[in-house]
Amino acid sequence: MDIKKIVRLAMFLSLAIVLSILESFIPIFNGMIPGLKLGLANIVILVILYLYGFKDAIYISILRVIMVGMLRTGLFSITFFFSFSGAILSIIMMTIFKKISLFSVVGVSIIGSIFHSIGQVIIAIFLLNTPNMIYYLPYLLLFAIPSGIITGLISKELINRMKDS
Amino acid sequence: MNKNDLKIIFFIIITAIMSIVLINLNDETGQIAHIYYMNKEVKTIDLSINNTYTVLGYNGEVKIEVKDRKIRVIEENSPLHLCSKQGYIFKSTETIICLPNKIVIKITDGNELDGVVG
Amino acid sequence: MKDKIGYIIGTLLLVAFFVWMALDYNQRINSIQEFSKNMFYMDTYISVKIYTKDKVKAKEALDSIDKIYETYNNLTDRYNSYDGTNNIYKINNNTLTDEKLTIDEKLYDLIFYGIDMYEETNGLININLGHVIDVWKSYRESESGVPTYEELKNSGSIDINDIQLLDNNQILNNHPCIDLGSIAKGYTNQIVADYLKSIGLNSFLINAGGSVVVGEHYANDTYKIGIETPTSEGGVYDVVSFNNKSLTTSGNYQRYYIYDKVLYHHIIDPNTLFPPNYFRSVSVITNNAALGDMLSTTLFLMTIEDGKTYLKENYPDVEAVWYTNDDEIERTEGFSNYE
Repeated sequence: MDIKKIVRLAMFLSLAIVLSILESFIPIFNGMIPGLKLGLANIVILVILYLYGFKDAIYISILRVIMVGMLRTGLFSITFFFSFSGAILSIIMMTIFKKISLFSVVGVSIIGSIFHSIGQVIIAIFLLNTPNMIYYLPYLLLFAIPSGIITGLISKELINRMKDS
Repeated sequence: MNKNDLKIIFFIIITAIMSIVLINLNDETGQIAHIYYMNKEVKTIDLSINNTYTVLGYNGEVKIEVKDRKIRVIEENSPLHLCSKQGYIFKSTETIICLPNKIVIKITDGNELDGVVG
Repeated sequence: MKDKIGYIIGTLLLVAFFVWMALDYNQRINSIQEFSKNMFYMDTYISVKIYTKDKVKAKEALDSIDKIYETYNNLTDRYNSYDGTNNIYKINNNTLTDEKLTIDEKLYDLIFYGIDMYEETNGLININLGHVIDVWKSYRESESGVPTYEELKNSGSIDINDIQLLDNNQILNNHPCIDLGSIAKGYTNQIVADYLKSIGLNSFLINAGGSVVVGEHYANDTYKIGIETPTSEGGVYDVVSFNNKSLTTSGNYQRYYIYDKVLYHHIIDPNTLFPPNYFRSVSVITNNAALGDMLSTTLFLMTIEDGKTYLKENYPDVEAVWYTNDDEIERTEGFSNYE
């Protein structure tokens, strides 16, 4: 592994951590719907996925969840499992949709955003024993589209620029 | 963005809106609120009585208010106060989750009462 | 193209996995089934629900329970006689000149318990109140007025010593007027609950008019029981949750009539011979359903303050809630543990 890549991945990781923490302070719709987030960290994961592939993306994603967990909510807390399941499911689905190569970066980003929500809702249903959470899923899905488009467009720009350098 | 992106966006929007319509057709104003702490029910509240209640959460006391058949969290100790920001809920499809306090509030229509004495 | 098919199959498998997880969760909740039976005995509707996977056992148990209620219904019936058993009707209307009457052991035990409760409650539970109850019943049915104290007093003896139990399941032929209405239901409910536990059916819910008796919950939860608002509005004014306990309510709103703007109901104070109106209803949570039935009646004959003191001194682990005449709710200190 070349030094440039290691340095980049390290920077990506810290960026992802900062973005996750940052976005937890941004209230969306004043907290009306539980679990609503911009998913800014997804920008980083998408870029890694396109530049380096699935393996590196999932490493960074897991490390991000663990680090944010340690810094904010405590390791292996319920919130940790929320993020973990959302992150893993989203990255797997993004990889699959990227390989299908029917979609652009924006499409893949939307998929990631959607499955991040789905993963969280599924884990909430099990861990909190609240089947009712499923009723929030449509709202989360609707919101996943604009947030997916925004993160997708930013990622696309970043990927293009970084490929050149 | 290409055509397929637009297709999937369209597909998701349709699915979500249809689900929202279906959910809103079926939901009812709830009668009973159930408070859970660490997945164990700690309080059952009748929403027809205006009152405030206090339950013990992970970070201390959680104050809950019932008003006009709606329920909300008014005070709790957590970094972001997400669940007190969520405001009132009153439908049987709504849920308040206070993750830092490990408190969940669910609403049901009261038909799930196992029995009535009187 | 081959690659893409692989990934699509992968996606489908993943989705299938989550669907399967959701279904499995549903399955785990639903594998225990509810078996229920509705009956009408002792002047009240009784519903028994058993939660188990064992269908055959549950059906057999429900049949046996029906028999238990029928047996106690017949034994405690004041107005009808049944072939082959000496029941309360036979005891009260014994025209034989024999000095003693042999009765069923079950009835003997129940009367024994009733006399015991007389001591326990300083006479507030009196199973020899039949004459007075009959007078009130005829007034209630005709709604024609209110009996005088003299009329009630002269209707017959209410002395508990009229009931003399002898050895070998025999009772002295002393013409008492036994009415087991205040204890028989709870007593029988407890026998049914004990029976269910003895055969290993620990998850059950018995709803018999004024009381609910529950065992273990079938899904690691608690049973939620509503307490009916004792006014014409109806509905539920409180919800309590527990396992392995019973909730019994006594109220003035079930069997009553109103004469000259005063409400006269069916729970009679043996001291005044009149129905008291300290409050609208009282509900008690007890471990034992028989105790619950007896205590809800006893508390109904006391003011709320006296009732609280009585519980504190005699039954510290029993919790109660009162619905007052002013639509206020009063609770014992520990009652909120169940709310």
